[in-house]
Amino acid sequence: MENNNTSRREFLLTGLLGSVAATGCGDDSSPFTPKDEVALTGEKVKLLSVNGEVIEVDKAYLKPVPDIPHLPNSEERKGMPGKKFVMVIDLSRCKNLKKCQEACNHMHYVNPGQSWVKVYSMQDAEESAPYWQPTICLHCDEPPCVKVCPVDATFKRQDGIVSIDSDRCVGCRFCMAACPYSTRVFNWETPAMPVEVASQHYSCESSVPQKKGTVGKCDFCPDMVRKGQLPHCVSACPNGVFMFGDMNEDSVTNGAETFRFSELIKDKAGYRLMEDLGTKPSVYYLPPVNRNFPYESGLENQDPADQHHH
Amino acid sequence: MKNNFSFLILFLLVQQVIAQKDSVVSKEIVSLKYYNENASMQYLVLENKLKTGKKTEPLRNKTFQLFLDSIAAPNKIGSVTTDNDGKAKSFLPPALKGSWEASAQHKFLAVAPGKEDETAAELEIIKAKINIDTLAGAEARSIVVQVMKYENTEWTPASDVEMKVGVQRLGGVLSAGDEETYTTDSSGAVTVELTKDSLPGDQQGNIVLVAKVEDNDLYGSLFVEKAVPWGIAIKSGNNFFDQRKLWATNFRTPLWLLFMAYSIVIGVWGTIIYLVLQIIRIKKIGTASS
Amino acid sequence: MLVENATSLSEQITQDLLPKKFGRRGMIWTAVLILFCIIGAYAYYRQLRYGLVVTNMRDYASWGIYISNFIFFVAISLVGSLITAIFRLTDVKWATPLTRIAEIIAVSAIVFASLIIIVDMGRPERLLNLFVYGRIQSPIMWDVIVIGTYFIISLLLLYFPLLPDLKILIHFKEKSGKALNKLYRFQGSFWRGTAEQFKITNRSIRILCIAIVPVAFSIHTVTSWLFATTYRPGWDSTNFGAYFISGAFLVGAGGVVVAMYVFRKYYVLEKYITVKHFEHMGKVVVMLALLYLYFNINEYMIPAFKMKKTEQAHLSGLFTGEFAILFWFAIVAGMIVPIIIMLFKRGRKPLPMFIAGIMIVVGAWFKRYLIVTPTLLHPILPMQDVPASYHHYFPSWEEWAIAIGSLSGALLIITFFARIYPIIPIQETITEKLEESEEMTHGKAYQRESEYYEKPVLTPKEQAHEK
Repeated sequence: MENNNTSRREFLLTGLLGSVAATGCGDDSSPFTPKDEVALTGEKVKLLSVNGEVIEVDKAYLKPVPDIPHLPNSEERKGMPGKKFVMVIDLSRCKNLKKCQEACNHMHYVNPGQSWVKVYSMQDAEESAPYWQPTICLHCDEPPCVKVCPVDATFKRQDGIVSIDSDRCVGCRFCMAACPYSTRVFNWETPAMPVEVASQHYSCESSVPQKKGTVGKCDFCPDMVRKGQLPHCVSACPNGVFMFGDMNEDSVTNGAETFRFSELIKDKAGYRLMEDLGTKPSVYYLPPVNRNFPYESGLENQDPADQHHH
Repeated sequence: MKNNFSFLILFLLVQQVIAQKDSVVSKEIVSLKYYNENASMQYLVLENKLKTGKKTEPLRNKTFQLFLDSIAAPNKIGSVTTDNDGKAKSFLPPALKGSWEASAQHKFLAVAPGKEDETAAELEIIKAKINIDTLAGAEARSIVVQVMKYENTEWTPASDVEMKVGVQRLGGVLSAGDEETYTTDSSGAVTVELTKDSLPGDQQGNIVLVAKVEDNDLYGSLFVEKAVPWGIAIKSGNNFFDQRKLWATNFRTPLWLLFMAYSIVIGVWGTIIYLVLQIIRIKKIGTASS
Repeated sequence: MLVENATSLSEQITQDLLPKKFGRRGMIWTAVLILFCIIGAYAYYRQLRYGLVVTNMRDYASWGIYISNFIFFVAISLVGSLITAIFRLTDVKWATPLTRIAEIIAVSAIVFASLIIIVDMGRPERLLNLFVYGRIQSPIMWDVIVIGTYFIISLLLLYFPLLPDLKILIHFKEKSGKALNKLYRFQGSFWRGTAEQFKITNRSIRILCIAIVPVAFSIHTVTSWLFATTYRPGWDSTNFGAYFISGAFLVGAGGVVVAMYVFRKYYVLEKYITVKHFEHMGKVVVMLALLYLYFNINEYMIPAFKMKKTEQAHLSGLFTGEFAILFWFAIVAGMIVPIIIMLFKRGRKPLPMFIAGIMIVVGAWFKRYLIVTPTLLHPILPMQDVPASYHHYFPSWEEWAIAIGSLSGALLIITFFARIYPIIPIQETITEKLEESEEMTHGKAYQRESEYYEKPVLTPKEQAHEK
């Protein structure tokens, strides 16, 4: 098992950074993109099969990642039926590279200085070992933020995702006060982004473009999931720290490795943050045991101002 | 005189600094990948990236021409333009049926327009196919995967092909057995026992078995899938979502809260309306008695 | 007492209590307030244009002095229910001259509470979303409902007792001028002073006094729940409702004392707001201050006894850390020193009371800030991976301008109200003064059919005398 881990890591590291490496060839195969999600154009295109036959497919499949149609707000509020998304973060693999943060901030055009993924240097007790903890919105099953929103701008979907509708948010920031994990950020000004992004169609599932005077946070990238791809942080991490999946399928994957979720949590004693608050998060952490890197290797990437914070 | 001299020194120093900056070279990478799915659908994916030091950036809107075996007009597969992720996909046109069937081995070439003499990328593959079958024994269920390659004019077993064999899950393949990957033996086959039991399937209890060869040097990427009723049917109960909860939408407020809120509001505002009516009454008395 | 003396007494009272034009001091005061409001409005324009980035609130200190100003306003507005309603219901006669002062403070405070909360919104143009898409599960919705209700009830409690005075104001039209006279006519020309009208008014006032007490308790309890429904250190307390209400009563009473002193001095009302009033208010305020001090001890000392990990940083920050100076100032200057002043009879004289009142109000403003922002700056997970400016909070000039503008606006409403309406109820004062002199002459309280008749009902002996 140990060897496999090393070779996998090498494969990932020497591969090209970015979404290709971690998912191998996966993102182009058709079963990945659920057929009912694709926006079919109706036009067909002929192609040559391996056996020399001529077959027809919809033109939508000519794209490396077929488009999915725009969803109405009511569908975005309901979410994907039959799914219950869950994430497992393996703390024994985290080196504070912050690739997750880079990718998420970049793809969602988060205002510079703010992040939806924060990597904390944690130390539970004075004598216990320090470790790096990437923290995102935990998409709680009893979300305190959703309870307090006066206008239903943040809501819980049936697939477990807690989403934000930036077209409805009034900017009262009660949800930010209510979240004990301090995971929400506020757009104090209009976030910097290119014109073509700022003018694109807003969707609760892509959370782009972010709007001035509204709240933003990790959204579990439902737009990527609909296309059959993994959230950006999952794909971006070279060490396979983030694992994403569907609890109803009982599996999580970091792109290269796939595990049976229930086995993983049981074997590695997965836990959730601040369990005693009763928020029932959808993100599990695997304790930093048998670590891949020493804690100190992450210090080079830490803001010097944060050095003394624990 | 002195001024000129110091200016010259400064100028030379600045040149040095500029020269040093240029030593970080950017390299443009064009890669071609071949995919073969379910022994019929096949396509190419071209990726164009710019690597500067440690950072890699996708190059968008770059056009390339793809050719089969040689760069000549009758062998043209098509023209592709990279998308926002720097990738482009192309099928093989039916017109190339003759050339395709002529040989077992093929070369794909990518050329940037304007630089026809320079091959931006090339990929050699041997035609191969992969299929998957199941063995349901008394105690165990097994998956049998067979990889064949086209040699001369017939299909022969392809040995030493590494692949993932397992169950299709969201975003990845859950390995059927205990290993991460399996390699075909000399007969081009590999048998994997499904050691994971009670896997959740869809509403009918179906799961999708998958065999995936990723980026093989000889054959490219191969993929095959098969749906089997080996899973546990999960009913998509949404009672968790439809319940009346404090975190639900306004239309699913807990009843006790609705009752409390409305009774208080009706009680107090009823009183207010009564009082406003009293003001009207006072007004009536006042205007009547004048 | 003969009718002529009664008439001259009521004329005297009326002349004393009719609203007067602004003198020079009044003009300067109003001009300064208007100036602050204009600066505040400009600062708000900048905020609308650039976003809340012009404040110094950031992701951790996401609520700043706008919210602490909001709870300060809500707190002060509770005084209406205390002085007006509770004192009326318990037949506390000496409080009658203070009822209108208390009500107008309550109304203007609640108006500006609503305005400042709109200022704090990131998307004020989406205010209607609260009504179209409102979620009844949210404490903010509860706050909107109770504050709206309290506002209406306070307006009614201002209006009903004003009706008899409107008649007097309409009568003295040469003093008020054409425009104001029109206003008075519109508001109360139908008031004749008949027995039936008085009956309806008295009953309505009684109903309002009973209704306003639970509503007033609700507004500050629900406002405290904006904090108590979260998990944060300093806010995760079961005590918050009672703690906030006791603080509200204290700051409201302190505000009334300050207003009493100012109106007394400026409008020369020593006969109506007497030294006795300060004496009584002093006793009330010292009790409220002791009660609030008791709640503070519960709120701070008991968590400090346990020193839970999540509360450690927060409590040490308040007791000995970056918020220590503000914290001890709010406790000492806002509670302890005024208590000491008011415990002594000499401290319950007008001028010391005025100083104590100002200390209470200023201390309360800082105390509200200490409730809001320090908790936010001590989150449960460490403050890391954020720009350095996120670790601290000091309001920007725009925030100060808007906060001061809102306070000035509230004071402006009170000032204009006192200019337009008599700040001490004329009719009630007349009735009570006549009652008093009747008691003095006849040695006993005589029975009346109604409390508020313009003309006193004569005893059979007097009637016989008249004839």
